[in-house]
Amino acid sequence: MPSRSIDLPQGTLDLLILRTLSLEPLHGWAVSERIQQISSDVLRVQQGSLYPALHRLERRGLIKARWGTSENNRKAKFYELTKAGRRELEIEQDAWQKLTAAVSQILETA
Amino acid sequence: MLLHDLLFRLRALMQHPAMESELDDELRFHLERQTDKYVKSGMSEAEAARRARLELGGLDQVKNECRAVRGVSLVESLVQDLHYSARTLLHSPVFTACAVLTLALGIGANTAIFSVINRVLLNPLPYPNSQELLAARQNDSLPNLKDMQRQTHSFASSGGVNIAPADFTGNGEPVRVHAAYVDAGLLATLGVQPMLGRWISAEEDTTGGARNVVLSYRFWRDFLGGDAHALGRAIRLSDKTYTIIGVMPRDFTLPRELADVFVSLWAGYPEDAPDRDVHSMHTYWRLKPGATLPQAQAEIAQADHRLAEDFPDTEKERGTVLMPLHESLVGNVRPALLILFGAVGLVLLIACANFAMLLMARAVTRQRELMIRASLGARSGRLIRQRLTESTLLALVGGATGLLAAKAGTTLLLALKPAELRLDAIPMDARVFVFVFAISLLTGLLFGLLPAWSATRGDIAEALRENARTTSTGVSRNPLRSLLVTAELALALILLAGAGLLIKGFLRLRSVDPGFNPGNVMTMYLQLPGARYPQIPSQTNFRRELLARINSLPGAEAAMITDLPLAGNYVGHRVVVDGQPARAVGTEPEVQTLSVMGNYFGVMQIPLRTGRDFSAMDRAGEPLVAIVNQAFVKQLLPGQNPIGTRIDWARSNEPHQWMTIIGVAGDVKHSGLDQLAEPAVYAPFSQNDERWRRFMTLVIRTRVPVAGLVENVKKQLWSMDSQMPVSDIQSMDDLLAVSVAQQRFNVLLLGSFAVLAVALAGVGIYGMVAYRVNQRTHEIGLYIALGAQHRDVLRLVMKDGVKLGLLGIVLGLAGAIALTRVMVSVLFEVKPTDPATLIGVAMLLAAVTILACYIPARRALKIQPMTALRRE
Repeated sequence: MPSRSIDLPQGTLDLLILRTLSLEPLHGWAVSERIQQISSDVLRVQQGSLYPALHRLERRGLIKARWGTSENNRKAKFYELTKAGRRELEIEQDAWQKLTAAVSQILETA
Repeated sequence: MLLHDLLFRLRALMQHPAMESELDDELRFHLERQTDKYVKSGMSEAEAARRARLELGGLDQVKNECRAVRGVSLVESLVQDLHYSARTLLHSPVFTACAVLTLALGIGANTAIFSVINRVLLNPLPYPNSQELLAARQNDSLPNLKDMQRQTHSFASSGGVNIAPADFTGNGEPVRVHAAYVDAGLLATLGVQPMLGRWISAEEDTTGGARNVVLSYRFWRDFLGGDAHALGRAIRLSDKTYTIIGVMPRDFTLPRELADVFVSLWAGYPEDAPDRDVHSMHTYWRLKPGATLPQAQAEIAQADHRLAEDFPDTEKERGTVLMPLHESLVGNVRPALLILFGAVGLVLLIACANFAMLLMARAVTRQRELMIRASLGARSGRLIRQRLTESTLLALVGGATGLLAAKAGTTLLLALKPAELRLDAIPMDARVFVFVFAISLLTGLLFGLLPAWSATRGDIAEALRENARTTSTGVSRNPLRSLLVTAELALALILLAGAGLLIKGFLRLRSVDPGFNPGNVMTMYLQLPGARYPQIPSQTNFRRELLARINSLPGAEAAMITDLPLAGNYVGHRVVVDGQPARAVGTEPEVQTLSVMGNYFGVMQIPLRTGRDFSAMDRAGEPLVAIVNQAFVKQLLPGQNPIGTRIDWARSNEPHQWMTIIGVAGDVKHSGLDQLAEPAVYAPFSQNDERWRRFMTLVIRTRVPVAGLVENVKKQLWSMDSQMPVSDIQSMDDLLAVSVAQQRFNVLLLGSFAVLAVALAGVGIYGMVAYRVNQRTHEIGLYIALGAQHRDVLRLVMKDGVKLGLLGIVLGLAGAIALTRVMVSVLFEVKPTDPATLIGVAMLLAAVTILACYIPARRALKIQPMTALRRE
């Protein structure tokens, strides 16, 4: 486990989950693995908060779940993005980019 | 989105076990994968599993968070709240009992009245597609009915019925039964089929048709023992033999008539059936599908017009009005029922106000507990929800108790109800249960929310302040409680005013002079069978002989009349007066026509204003005589000396057979105490008899116990004719009481609601004052210690209660003036704003208020200063 990994800022987990699922349906474990891999192990997903987040997104109708067979041939719960989820992802992504751009600008110039 | 959320939660709720095992599976899968990962990277199996679990965090915690997200927690916390409420309520049984009882009274009374309304006003009639059924407001004759049916197109069918008594003999004692003389179309119109056999066919329903009879279920059961082979058997009704062809279903009744047997009018009265001008049938009509009432009414008006043209002698003044059958049956009881429902609604509001005040008082006594819970982090939303759960639970228990009370109440209602309210049972159906559930829930939520909401604000703070024993200089007023008390008294006053007005009207009605002396008068109804007494002389002989025999009994004086006052019937005839300009045919004034024999005016103690009474000399063959009432003189002979004036029935054969008026009798309230006396003509039976006038009512003034007398009269009667039934044996006093039964019913109900309302309001104001005395014990003690007199203490503690009470009474007066207007239709000779009544009830309620304040205030007087101060 890398020592310099940082915890996710509040509220970004949903965005990352949506982004991860926008490529293909994944089960919960794969979501956490994927986030860690892509961020080169910099971001560490609190696995305890992953599942409540998945369920919350499901309740909001942004993702939907179905049971399928995993790559190692086990029964697993796969999540995929719904139309509403895709829309939400675009909005959130846009907002995030604006936010980080503004924050970096302040950090660089001020 | 919202819908999705709801479905998700719903699924979470409905499929709780499935969702739980899915969650288990999902998390187990995660742990397995994570463990695999670490094993592959070289860890031992056990170490890998431990590491995986650690990373996930507490398994139960994750599950809990997932559940919270699913929204199940709402339900779970509701269950928790219910549990908690039930426990705390059981710990304070007195409070719980008071709250439940208060609501049970309010909800019970409402449910009872709603059950009646549900049964009478809301339930459809027991006929298929009953919304298509119409009733004519006026009676009509069979020929007219047939012509109207032929000339119109809006009706699928029509039918008529006339109820007349018939003597059922040949089965032991002679029995008088109600025979329905019908036409064949009646049953098709109502849309019902006989249970056994068949109904009267159209072919039989004409002159010379077979003499067949259809039995009611009850008649079949009681007199034929429910014999399945009764069809084809013969029974004797009024000396004619009829063949049984059918039996009606057990629950069948005619819309408004009571009938034991059904006979074609052509079979029962072949000589009367073709009479166009004897309008004696109630007629019922069924609209074709798609036809409307206005359309049907227009066609009927046209048919009326045609009949008037074709038969100007008798049918000139037609004006048939059709109305929905349901409306024609319940229209006259609806206003009273709705007023009662409104009144009982006010009672519930008062009960609810008390309920809310109880909850508020309880909140204060529990403030320590609530404070602790709040300080432990319970959010105020959660606390309000908790208290709402409690109030709703109380209200539901109160509603269930109220349902039991209502069950008892409806039994009582059935015993009290007037005959006009056609009600044989008050079943509680699903609608009643929904009603109870809905008002209980509403009560619990609404009146629980008020104090719960106020508790999170002022009340607790106030209680805290008081508890901190700061000597409160200001009065511990709670605006909500003041509002509730004021409102209760205002509502109670409105109810009291309504009841007061009704009572006053009822007393006026009871004090109306009926025009005769009802005390010690027995009455009974007889009918001479046409077969045995076909001719007028034989009828007259029978009557004369019967009266002579009864008059020979000790302590009895008997007379007879065709139709008794207040019994609901009279025969109307048009008259012409000799010497007055002739009126157009059909527009002559109509008067009540009554035949009498014996000393009728003496027995009934109807005063003779002028002239002479009938005498034994006024008999057949002698000059025709008549006695008229004062209304007759006033309306038809104004400014004329009635004695010696000659009158005759209109349309009688020329030359006129004039009757000479020999006397004027006092007016009698024939059609009801609340009705105006109508012009009436009395004539001797012996001079003014007709073949069809075979019925009579005996009136016997007695100086001996009634029971023995009735037996003796029956003995005399049956020694003359053993086959003649006697019916409607009742005293004139009873008849008078029955005639005001509807009004009495209204008075009893509204009166008891008013009493209930005043009691509840009194308890409410009592509770408020008692609560304040209790809260201010310390202050009052100090006051007394400083030398305050009893009067000062009383003033201090009673001031607020009395002030609020009086305010409520004033507001209630305004409300009463605005609301009692709806009672106009049920009040007799009392204006809805009758000042005496309003002032009277206001003073009564003021007295109750002062008493309700005084009783707890007396407790304040007993406060020992030292004890009170030691409570510090």
